[in-house]
Amino acid sequence: VGSIEQSEALHSRVRAFISGARLPLLTEGARGATERAEGAPSAPDPFDALAIAVARYQAAACAPVARLFGARGVRAGELQRADQIPAVPCDVFRFARVATHPPDADAVVFRTSGTTLGAGSRGEHALRTTATYELAALSWGARMLWPDRDTMRVLVLSPPLSEAPDSSLGFMLDRFAARLGGPASWHVRGGALDVVGFARACGEARDAGEPAIVLGTSFAFVHLLEAQGTSDLTLPAGSRAMQTGGFKGRSREVPAEELRRSIARSLGVPLPCVVSEYGMTELSSQLYEDTLARALAGAPEAELAGTRRYVAPPWVRVTAVDQETLSPLPDGEIGLARIVDLANVDSAVAIQTADRVRVTDGCVELLSRVAGAPPRGCSIAIDQMLGGAR
Amino acid sequence: VTADPGITPAEGMVAIDPRPASIWDRAARRARVERVVAAGARLADPRDPLGEEVRRRLPGTTGLSREGVELALTRHLETSATDEDLDALLSRCARARRCHVVLAANVCTAAQRALAVATATSPCVLLRPSRRDPVVAELLSRALQGDALFARWGGSVELIAELDLAGAEPGQAQGDIPAQELHIHGTDETVAALRTMAGARAVVRGHGAGLGVAVIGAQADLPAAAQALADDVVPFDQRGCLSPRFALVEGTAARAEDFARALHGALGGAGARVPRGPLDDAVRAGIAMYQATLEALGSFFRGDGHGVGLDPTPRSLPLPPAARVVHVAASSAEAARSLLAPWGAVITAIGTAGGGPLAQAAWSAAPRARRSTLGDMQRPPLDGPVDLRAF
Repeated sequence: VGSIEQSEALHSRVRAFISGARLPLLTEGARGATERAEGAPSAPDPFDALAIAVARYQAAACAPVARLFGARGVRAGELQRADQIPAVPCDVFRFARVATHPPDADAVVFRTSGTTLGAGSRGEHALRTTATYELAALSWGARMLWPDRDTMRVLVLSPPLSEAPDSSLGFMLDRFAARLGGPASWHVRGGALDVVGFARACGEARDAGEPAIVLGTSFAFVHLLEAQGTSDLTLPAGSRAMQTGGFKGRSREVPAEELRRSIARSLGVPLPCVVSEYGMTELSSQLYEDTLARALAGAPEAELAGTRRYVAPPWVRVTAVDQETLSPLPDGEIGLARIVDLANVDSAVAIQTADRVRVTDGCVELLSRVAGAPPRGCSIAIDQMLGGAR
Repeated sequence: VTADPGITPAEGMVAIDPRPASIWDRAARRARVERVVAAGARLADPRDPLGEEVRRRLPGTTGLSREGVELALTRHLETSATDEDLDALLSRCARARRCHVVLAANVCTAAQRALAVATATSPCVLLRPSRRDPVVAELLSRALQGDALFARWGGSVELIAELDLAGAEPGQAQGDIPAQELHIHGTDETVAALRTMAGARAVVRGHGAGLGVAVIGAQADLPAAAQALADDVVPFDQRGCLSPRFALVEGTAARAEDFARALHGALGGAGARVPRGPLDDAVRAGIAMYQATLEALGSFFRGDGHGVGLDPTPRSLPLPPAARVVHVAASSAEAARSLLAPWGAVITAIGTAGGGPLAQAAWSAAPRARRSTLGDMQRPPLDGPVDLRAF
C-alpha cells in the first residue's frame, strides 16, 4: 500500500489540474482541451507528467498494477508518456482489489451491477476520498449539461443514493442534484418506476415555469416512455435530459437514436438537449455527448445532426487500441477504448475497456460491438454468463 | 419377427411393438443405437468412403486443424459400446413415435450421440444439422439410410432443413408414449426459443452450453495431471461443453504455479502434435483481454497455440476464451464452494486427479455434471446424452 501523504499530494495535484484546466469551447474538436486557461491560479502539471506520477505511485502501491507493469516489462521510472502506462482491464476490478490503500481506509466502494455470476463477481472500485471524484464529475457535468445555468430542477430516474449506496451513478446524480440546488425528486424506488410521481414533478416544473434536467438510465427512460400513457411529461423551455448505460441483461433493447427521439418528444425538449453519458464504475470521470454544449455555444443546428460524439474532460484521455495487441492506433481508426483518467488516483490511472470506439481529434465515437460469427461448439461463452454493467 | 398381431410387418422388416414393456421394443432400440455406433465406426475409418469424405470436408467446417479433425474422428466418435453403457442409455431415454433433433451449436462429432439418443427414443428421427457444421450429421445419416440392419429394426433418419413439428403427422400418442420429442442441442437462447415454439406439440429436451472443470487434488502427481488435462483441452480446441476451462489446484499458490507451468509445457507438446485451428478476430481479441487481466491478477503463460492463466489468490473465476486457454486457480475445498457456486448450473463435466476434499466440493457444486478421471473428460461412455443436466 502507499502512504496517505503520497496519495493526498497526488489528489491535490489532480484537483489543481481539474480546476485549472481550460474547458473546451466545443465549437471545434476537443483537441487542445488540456491547454491551461489564461491566468489560471496555479500551474498544473501537463497531462502526461501527472499521469506518470500517478502511475508510478500505483505501480509501487497497488499489487495488480505492479504485476501488470512487471508482466509488460515496463519500468515505472522510465515512463515518458501516458500511453506507455499499462492499462488495467476493467475485468480486473471484478477479480481483485485494485487500490493503493487498505480496505479500512476506504471512503466508499463503488460496485458494478450484478450479473448471473453473483455478488462475488461484481466489480469494485474503492475510493479513499471522494473529493477528486466529486470535483471531476461536477466540473464536467456543469460544462456539458448545464453550462448556461447555476440552478435547475432535477428529476432522477434512478434509485436514490440511500437505496444504492455503492452505485457510482447514484453518487454522481446525488451530487448533481445537490449542486443544482433546485427541487429534486427520485422516481425509482424499491425497484419500481414511479410514473405518477414523475408526471407530477413535470407538472410542478411547468407550473413554476422553471426548466428541469432529467437524469436517468436508458432502461428507466424506456420503461417511463412505455408506461407514460396519457400523462403529460413535457417540461418548460430550457429543460434537458441525460441518459446513461446500455441494456445488457435487460428485457428489451431500443436503438439509441430511437430512444433519444422518444425522450425528446415525450419531454418536449429539442433533440440536441438529450445527452448521453459514458461512464463506468472503474473510472472517476465521465464523457458526454456534446450536442447540448455545442448548441448552447451557438453551433448551427445542422452541425448538431449526424454522428453523435462523446467528449472527454481535459483530465481524461481516450485512445483506441488494437484489440489484439492493445497498442495505440492512429487517430480515426477503430479499436478498443483505453482511458487514462487522472482522477483515478488510488486505483489504476489507465483503464482498458472492451468498448469499440473511433477517436478523432479528441472526440470519441462509441461503436456497437461487431456481430462476429457465432461461437463454434457448445462450450459456454462469457457473454452468456454476464449481464449488467455500471 | 412379429411381436404384435396387430402390426403387420412389411416384407423383410421387423415388426416393432412400441409398448415400453416389450422386449422386442427394447431389442429394436438397442439394435438401432448399435447401428449408429457402426455408422460412427465407418467415419472413423479413413479407408471407408465416408471416412475419406469426412476428413476432406471437416477442416473447412469445424475450424479445426487436420490433426484436430483426425483426433476428433479417431478418439471421439463412438466405435464400440459396452452392454452396460447401452443399458444405461436406453434407460435414460424416453419414448416417442417421432423424434426431432436440432443441432445448433455443438462439436462436430456430437451428432453421433445425438442420433444414438434419438434412435433410442424413436425409430423415426428427423435431424436438422448445424448449419455451420453439418458434415458428421449428414454422413451419419447417409450411412444409416443405407444400412439394411438399421432399417430392419424400424429405423429411419431424415435430414431436414427446418424444424416442422406440425408437418407429417406422426400419429397419436400411444399410452404413455408421446407423439413427438424434440431434442435441442444449442445455446440456452436457442433452447428457450424452440421450447416456446414447440409448446405442447412435443416433449422438449434441451442441451444448452456448458463447461468442464478440472480438479487437481492434494495427492495428484502434477506433471501427470497436467498431461491428462492437456489431453482433455486439445480435442475440439476446447469448444465442447465437456472441455475443461477452469483448473482448481488444491494447496498453496506455489503448487498452483507449478501446475500451471507443467500444463503450459504439456499443452505446448500437445499443440506440436495436434495444432490448434485458426482463430477468428473475436477470439484473438478475447485472448488478448484475458491475458491482460491475468497479468494483473497473477500470471499468464502464452504458447503458440494455447494459454494458461494463473490466479494464485482467486476471489472469483474469470472465464477464459474457449481456444485452448485454461484458467488455473489455487483453491481449498472450502474456497472452491464459493468459487464454483456461480458456475454450478453450467458445469457439464468434472475431471479429477488425486481425489480428496476439493473433488468432493466440486461434485457438490455441480451434482449433475459428468464425473471422470482427468484425461477422460472428453470420452464419456455412451450411456446417455453428453449433458446430464437437463435431459
